[in-house]
Amino acid sequence: MMLSALILIPLAGAIVTSLWPQEWPADRIRKIALAAQGISLIWVGWLATQYNITLPGMQFVSSLAWIESLGLTYRLGLDGLSLPLLFVNSLLGAIAVYSSPVTIRRPRLYFSLMLVISSAVAGAFLAQNLLLFFIFYELELIPLYLLIAIWGGARRGYAATKFLIYTAISGILILGGFLGLVWLSGASTFDYDPGFAQTLTLVEQSVLLVALLIGFGIKIPLFPFHTWLPDAHVEASTPISVLLAGVLLKLGTYGLVRFGLQLFPAAWSEFAPWLAGWAVVSVLYGSFAAIAQRDMKKMVAYSSIGHMGYVLLATAADTPLSILGTVMQMVSHGLISGLLFLLVGVVYAKTGTRDLTVLRGLLNPERGLPIVGSLMILGVMASAGIPGMVGFISEFVVFRGSFLAFPAQTLLCMIGSGLTAVYFLLLVNRAFFGRLAIRPPSDAVEPDLNLPRVSWSDRVPAVVLAIVIVALGLQPVWLSRWSEATIVALRSPIVELAEASTPAVLCETSTTFPCAL
Amino acid sequence: MTQFLIETSWLIPVYGLAGVIATLPWSTGWVRRTGPRPAVYINILMTAIAFIHGSLVFRGIWNSGSQELTLTWFQAADLRLSLALDLSVVNLGALELITGLSLLAQLFALGYLEKDWALARFFALMGFFEAAMGGVVMSSSLFLAYSLLEMLTLSTYLLVGFWYAQPLVVTAARDAFLTKRIGDVLLLMGVVALSALVGSLEFNDLYEWVKDPQLSPWAATLLGLALIAGPTGKCAQFPLHLWLDEAMEGPNPASILRNSVVVTCGAYVLIRLQPIVALSPVALSTLVVIGTITAIGASLVAIAQIDIKRTFSYSTSAYLGLVFIAVGIEWPGVALMILLTHAIAKALLFMSAGSVILTTNSQDLTEMGGLWSKMPATTIAYVTASLGMVGLLPLGCFWGYHLGIDFLWEDSPALVVVFLTVNFLTALNLMRVFRLIFLGAAQPKTRRAPEVAWPMAVPMVFLTVFTLLVPLILNRLYLLPPWEYVNIPALMLLVTSGLAGVVLGALIPISKTLARSLQRPVRIVQDLLAYDFYTERLYRYTVVWLVERISWASSWFDRYVVDGLVNTVGLVSLLGGESLKYSISGRSQGYLLTIVVGVSLLGLLMTWTMW
Repeated sequence: MMLSALILIPLAGAIVTSLWPQEWPADRIRKIALAAQGISLIWVGWLATQYNITLPGMQFVSSLAWIESLGLTYRLGLDGLSLPLLFVNSLLGAIAVYSSPVTIRRPRLYFSLMLVISSAVAGAFLAQNLLLFFIFYELELIPLYLLIAIWGGARRGYAATKFLIYTAISGILILGGFLGLVWLSGASTFDYDPGFAQTLTLVEQSVLLVALLIGFGIKIPLFPFHTWLPDAHVEASTPISVLLAGVLLKLGTYGLVRFGLQLFPAAWSEFAPWLAGWAVVSVLYGSFAAIAQRDMKKMVAYSSIGHMGYVLLATAADTPLSILGTVMQMVSHGLISGLLFLLVGVVYAKTGTRDLTVLRGLLNPERGLPIVGSLMILGVMASAGIPGMVGFISEFVVFRGSFLAFPAQTLLCMIGSGLTAVYFLLLVNRAFFGRLAIRPPSDAVEPDLNLPRVSWSDRVPAVVLAIVIVALGLQPVWLSRWSEATIVALRSPIVELAEASTPAVLCETSTTFPCAL
Repeated sequence: MTQFLIETSWLIPVYGLAGVIATLPWSTGWVRRTGPRPAVYINILMTAIAFIHGSLVFRGIWNSGSQELTLTWFQAADLRLSLALDLSVVNLGALELITGLSLLAQLFALGYLEKDWALARFFALMGFFEAAMGGVVMSSSLFLAYSLLEMLTLSTYLLVGFWYAQPLVVTAARDAFLTKRIGDVLLLMGVVALSALVGSLEFNDLYEWVKDPQLSPWAATLLGLALIAGPTGKCAQFPLHLWLDEAMEGPNPASILRNSVVVTCGAYVLIRLQPIVALSPVALSTLVVIGTITAIGASLVAIAQIDIKRTFSYSTSAYLGLVFIAVGIEWPGVALMILLTHAIAKALLFMSAGSVILTTNSQDLTEMGGLWSKMPATTIAYVTASLGMVGLLPLGCFWGYHLGIDFLWEDSPALVVVFLTVNFLTALNLMRVFRLIFLGAAQPKTRRAPEVAWPMAVPMVFLTVFTLLVPLILNRLYLLPPWEYVNIPALMLLVTSGLAGVVLGALIPISKTLARSLQRPVRIVQDLLAYDFYTERLYRYTVVWLVERISWASSWFDRYVVDGLVNTVGLVSLLGGESLKYSISGRSQGYLLTIVVGVSLLGLLMTWTMW
């Protein structure tokens, strides 16, 4: 039940906030939601202290029969892959609730939907049954749709529907993949087992893997299935964007590692070069598209597409280090993009626009947003991979882990890292440097502009994220230690298996490289 | 005691960072009552502690020999990254140079930026700067050196962008970051490749690996080129030299450090990497070519500049070009000698320039004149620095030049010519600038020009004396050649080239009212040099244009093709539904007709093969 608590605490919060019979002020509802998220964050911390980092397998496994005729059991487990992501989920969940304004319309529905998302995502990261994962995966979809469609911007209907259709298709493909896997392997249960696909032929594996790849590729998102993301981000309110970028996209990459790579190792190694190529396209495409954006939020959204491509590259390379890199990159992207979205949200709230062609000089010390600006510089530098922050070491591990397997693709992805500097620097230069104004540059004399003061409650979430980003950047072992044992154990049997099927690539790696485990 | 100091020498860069953190209450504006001064004193104190600690460690190491400090920082799977410090005499000497110059520059800044509202932020950035530089020269792991070089890139960006409300500063900061970033990303590629190939990134392990690398020549060349790209950006070498000139929009005290020791850090890493770069002859000759182009080109460009800081910044590029040549022909000793002597003289040169700028409120050489009698300390500093820069009198750079020419004498006379040309052109330029600033009639901006105040004068005079003492210190450290080994013809050539530069510089006609010549051919050459061979425009029309086009194209593709396709699918299904709904007419004749047609078509299809 230790793990179920992570699902139940936010769920209980959601039930209380939505169904409590008395009329409550919005502030109290927000506090209850924050308390629920806070408790689950503490719970994750407590789980981490109980978690044995030397054991490779699933820990705290709990299993409950549910619908046996379907093969659906309520089976949860925690390993090094899911623990850091659960932490990010709870942290960003709490931050999203904290950064939601008290004056929001229909607070009961809003906060309970947010809590349902946290609960569902935690469930998806914990589920050890394919069908259960799918249920949680779908469960998070409806609340998010509503959150965008009700509290979104001007084109929220379009964006929310687009998100819904895309993610529904992704869900169908994943469900199809799972059903096909279980039927073809003749298993009687959907319980997660890395050896599921061993009896399948390569063709069968490939077909199923393609379904999963497209399914998760939509969620990550990868080119060309990504267009829902910029729209959803632009229309969603700030806290929702934080959740979407920081947590929900990770479901896709998590699924890729957990289900794509681990269930179909043989087919995966066949596909790997293509996947690495796909990663390159996604990274470069996302980065170049980001350069051309005029909307700050859209720029950050496109940068997500680029940065999530690194995860695909590392997953394709499939070395112990690169898989560790995927976990680190997922966490660091979650934290950094969360920070960036929060800051863009503050800018939007104070200036009323996110348009880079009109915003200028926001760093102004007295009348502008100097601390938000400084945090923004920290955030974009972290995203661009400047050492001392968590983005650098995750990217380094990803690139270092993938280099021997796919040298050319890795180098091309590193260009994406250089391009990150380009677009984010343009963002900072345009919006934060120069003379304070919210209008296109002109020679006319402009009256001085006074932006509303930023209160500390607006800055706190960003400061918390910034501290975590720097702390993990200075001491990345705090991030990697949870996952190392799991990943090393997880790779070793399958590397042998992959060697048998594709001796050329992987054998070379493990012989020229004596320390490769 | 000494051993304890040596073991805690990792603190030396940390002092600077501690200063930065201690400055935060002032730089973020929490503490306003005291003004920014306390933050300034904290930082100066920290730098002083770093300097004293460094000099004690230097003495200890001088007596006891090199030591290493290693701390495993990150270990996962087969990756092990350590923060290793190499405490050798050379490294600690460089560290002393950095902390010492940083201390002087910060004292100087106390006067220079006295009235700036963001004084605390400036000193925080200086502390950050100093910490990163101190770490770079002490590091004995490529990983640490790379990380700190990136920190330097970041702090350069922030220091150049210090006055971020000015339009020129905005572009300068952007260019500084992006050009360096290009080099850094390429360097990162090299670092990742080395890490994957060797397994360790400590320089000692890399040097072991170099003995038997088992690398194809192609791979070695690519690796070598990637490794030199980082220092190329950092040292403002062609083709990544653009930023240093623009970076002169930043505050002068930061420019002092940037032109003397920051570029030195880049070169220092290059010297460390030289054995690995040497795997590929192509990369080595690339170094020589880059160095030669920059040395000659930047010396020429410097002559056409009318901005006092920019003209000196180009000469920095030129001297670092000489360092690149020295590394390219595998004489790291020459490189180190030039770096050391150049750093001191250049720092002094920038201090005197800073004094002139603060007093006249102008950086434009054509607006100056007649300052020699009004600002004697500054004039003496300028003259001393200039003499220290060129090979004329046996001051600092004279010995750097001499060593270089002496080593090149036999092997490559062509490169000797490069050295002599740079000497000649630098002497010419320094003489030209001297005449413009200090001689001639006073102009409106130089008419009332008092000597600078104590906080600036003290470090300047101190450095003046120190520059004069450099030969003695070199002698003390046994870095000067014994008299009988001095190459007399080389010496003669060196002095002649310097003298020729000075004489020509004194004789060429200089007009302050007409900066551009009236004669068309002269003017074309002048413009070509003044605009740095139009490199900026070249970039704008090639790289920048290309990236802009590609990003525009992908954005367009995204919006109209990918998203267009998605929207079309949506539209088609909506329209399909909308139009099909009209087929529900409610009249049974219509339904019957549809069924008959459908069944006949089906029948037709099924019996198609029988016909």
